[in-house]
Amino acid sequence: MATTRIVRQVFGAIPLGRAMGRVVSVIDVAAVALLLLCIGVAPAKAGDMPTISELKRLNLEDLMNLEVTSVARHPEKLIDVPSAIQVITQEEIRRSGATSIPEALRLADNLQVAQKNSHDWAISARGFNTNLGNKLLVMIDGRTVYTPLYSGVFWDMQDYLLGDIDRIEVISGPGGALWGANAVNGVINIITKSARDTQGAFAEVGGGSQPRDFVGGRYGGQVGSETQFRVYGKYFDRGHEVLGNGNLETDSWRQGQAGFRADSEVSVQDKLTVQGDFYQGREDQQSGGTADTSGGNILGRWTRALSDESDLSLQSYFDQTHLSLPVSPLLIGGMQFSPAGTFYDDLTTYDVDFQHRFRLDARNRLIWGAGFRHTHDAGINAPSLGFLPAVLDQNLYSLFLRDEVHLREDLSFALGTKLEHNDYTGFEFEPDARLSWSLNSTQNLWAAVSRAVRTPSRIDHDLSAGTPPYLVVLKGGSDFTSESVIAYELGYRAQLNSRFTTSVSGFYNEYNDVRSTSFTPATILPLYFANNLQGDTYGLEFSGNYQSTGAWSLHAGYTLLREHLRVKPGQFDLSNGINETADPKHQFSIRYSLNLPGHVELDSGLRWVDSLLTNNGPTAGTVPAYFELNTRLAWHASERLELSLVGQNLLHNHHAEYGFPDPTRVEIQRSLYGRLAWRY
Amino acid sequence: MCRGASGAEVPTEYQVKAVFVFNFSRFLEWSPQAFTAPNAPFVIGILGDDPFGARMEEAVRGEQIDQHPMVVRRFRNMGEIDNCQILYIDRSERAQLQQILLAMDHRSTLTVSELDQSSERGVMVQFTTENNRIRLRINVESARAAGLTISSKLLRSAEIVSTRTGN
Repeated sequence: MATTRIVRQVFGAIPLGRAMGRVVSVIDVAAVALLLLCIGVAPAKAGDMPTISELKRLNLEDLMNLEVTSVARHPEKLIDVPSAIQVITQEEIRRSGATSIPEALRLADNLQVAQKNSHDWAISARGFNTNLGNKLLVMIDGRTVYTPLYSGVFWDMQDYLLGDIDRIEVISGPGGALWGANAVNGVINIITKSARDTQGAFAEVGGGSQPRDFVGGRYGGQVGSETQFRVYGKYFDRGHEVLGNGNLETDSWRQGQAGFRADSEVSVQDKLTVQGDFYQGREDQQSGGTADTSGGNILGRWTRALSDESDLSLQSYFDQTHLSLPVSPLLIGGMQFSPAGTFYDDLTTYDVDFQHRFRLDARNRLIWGAGFRHTHDAGINAPSLGFLPAVLDQNLYSLFLRDEVHLREDLSFALGTKLEHNDYTGFEFEPDARLSWSLNSTQNLWAAVSRAVRTPSRIDHDLSAGTPPYLVVLKGGSDFTSESVIAYELGYRAQLNSRFTTSVSGFYNEYNDVRSTSFTPATILPLYFANNLQGDTYGLEFSGNYQSTGAWSLHAGYTLLREHLRVKPGQFDLSNGINETADPKHQFSIRYSLNLPGHVELDSGLRWVDSLLTNNGPTAGTVPAYFELNTRLAWHASERLELSLVGQNLLHNHHAEYGFPDPTRVEIQRSLYGRLAWRY
Repeated sequence: MCRGASGAEVPTEYQVKAVFVFNFSRFLEWSPQAFTAPNAPFVIGILGDDPFGARMEEAVRGEQIDQHPMVVRRFRNMGEIDNCQILYIDRSERAQLQQILLAMDHRSTLTVSELDQSSERGVMVQFTTENNRIRLRINVESARAAGLTISSKLLRSAEIVSTRTGN
């Protein structure tokens, strides 16, 4: 069945046939042009690197003062990293035509990314990608951005000037031993460039069908020779998407963000970073009304290098987020139990982290750290949705230690653990053991066993839907405990020559105490959350990269994921174990980057995502498997000016990526935008 | 190509390293005996995987030292090493470094590598990176043993190390 659907979707999307007998829109024409371009062009010959002759004119001192980007360094280092890490580089982000962080995350083969509507995404690693997905830890420059409301990420509230992102590291598999609770199935580290690397002026402007229009700019300067800074700002307006029948959906989105970063080399040993961001957005809601989001943060980090292999770092941040969300009335069988209203949430986070890395002796390299986080969550409940208590202060204490032991020149073993204390469940222990074996300098085998936990979020413990005096239908479980996983991983990573890199990793995970929904037989309502599920998952992640000498590169990725969740013997779950997963069994992607004569770049990415089961209470529906294609054509008119045309989701007028198959499911449209970027 | 692509202002690591390797030919003196003929080429050899791509060729294109035109040669393994004046030993040769240095012992060849601790093990010039900037570590004894004289200008901008045995 799935295959007929794929065939129908692919062939249904051939634009020439479908365009017969109806008005061909400008977008269709442009999309066809892009499609033809990406089929019809041949690889170009690599040209000269004119900067070499410029470099040759420099004297030794000047050469030594040059800062270099090391394109090779990340993959080289990656060879030795004993975990399933993938790195999205700035160059890949730029050439993908991504307009948001979630779109950029599609470049990581080890993530499942599904767009729900104009402003919402579901993103996870190794499964559990539900509406309340909660097993991924996401950080921007060391600042944790998941919300304690449900331990998931409001992706619409995480943005940056994409050109100033240095790289995004995506680790699938547990990272609890280093990063703590929530790093159950993966960790995403979004790392922005140092202010030193963003000197000068940059401006971009563009628009099309999606995003409708956007503008961004940055200025980087310096104060003395040791301190650099940048300030940036951006704004975008994203239009609505559509329903399955093609009718307009009310999900437009406008958001602005501004921020700064300053980096200073206070002394030869000491570096200081101070950065901050502020954003404000408005999102039209499907159910009517408009959600308001805003927030700001400020972070300071001090690092001191004690020697080549030893350093200290101290980081602290303050973060505030605001959300006001229109909430629909609670209706059951046509009867209204509570009226419409607005849910407000104001979260304030204070965090401080300390880390120390050093070499103990010839064999042992140690890293340890301690952290403290205080959150003040102030909600105002709506009749149909709220948290009890509405206002809650929580403290999180953590300590970690990791020892990397060099057993032989080609063999190292790392043992570490995090110890955390949270207000809901007390102490949590997250140990991790990793073995890394260099077959030679270009191939590495690694294996790991780790335990990680997801500590309760406010939704698990404090949810009240609706809020008294109205009828409470669903509430958090006062006995809700941490979910846990034991993960077994095996991986291989190789840089077979300077052109070809590949990695394969496999995993088997055993989960316990996963969230379920229960009821009290005497009263039925309210339903409440419990920990009655257990199960296992296994899967495979592959990625391969080929880089020719400058002219073109090719990338392919594949993910296999199988999930088996079941109700614990003798216990109960209202949705019989199907409510915590919504994931494709297979997905693959292939993309290329091509440098054409005349300073023209052409990039395309094709992805296929298998069908996924998505749940609405006890019933399961399906999101069909789909192919989609993005293409970018860019021309560097001069050193300073770049013009590009990007087509996204070119194969269908609109397609669903997520959600229960009912008439309200939102589908994502084919889109096209142009962009002009200027730097000085 | 596509010069306007990201980081036009910031050169890549191996662009700069290629220029360094080219510059070494200016800051060292090879005796006439190091060449098979007065007009024999000045050879920059790359042993193992090649991290430079076309950059090394670009750095030496059209250049010559006295009567010796500069060329680049690539050697897949030790056995292929021919007469060369500078030998870049890639990271891929880590396991064979000791044998390579032994084989190069009596030749007037400047050895260059970025392998960790390679200058202590006898490589004459080692690249390191510090704060994204390239640094040099030079083992003067091994250069002298090969009959090569390094200019003081180059030495001033480098860290001098000596051979450590038993590593």
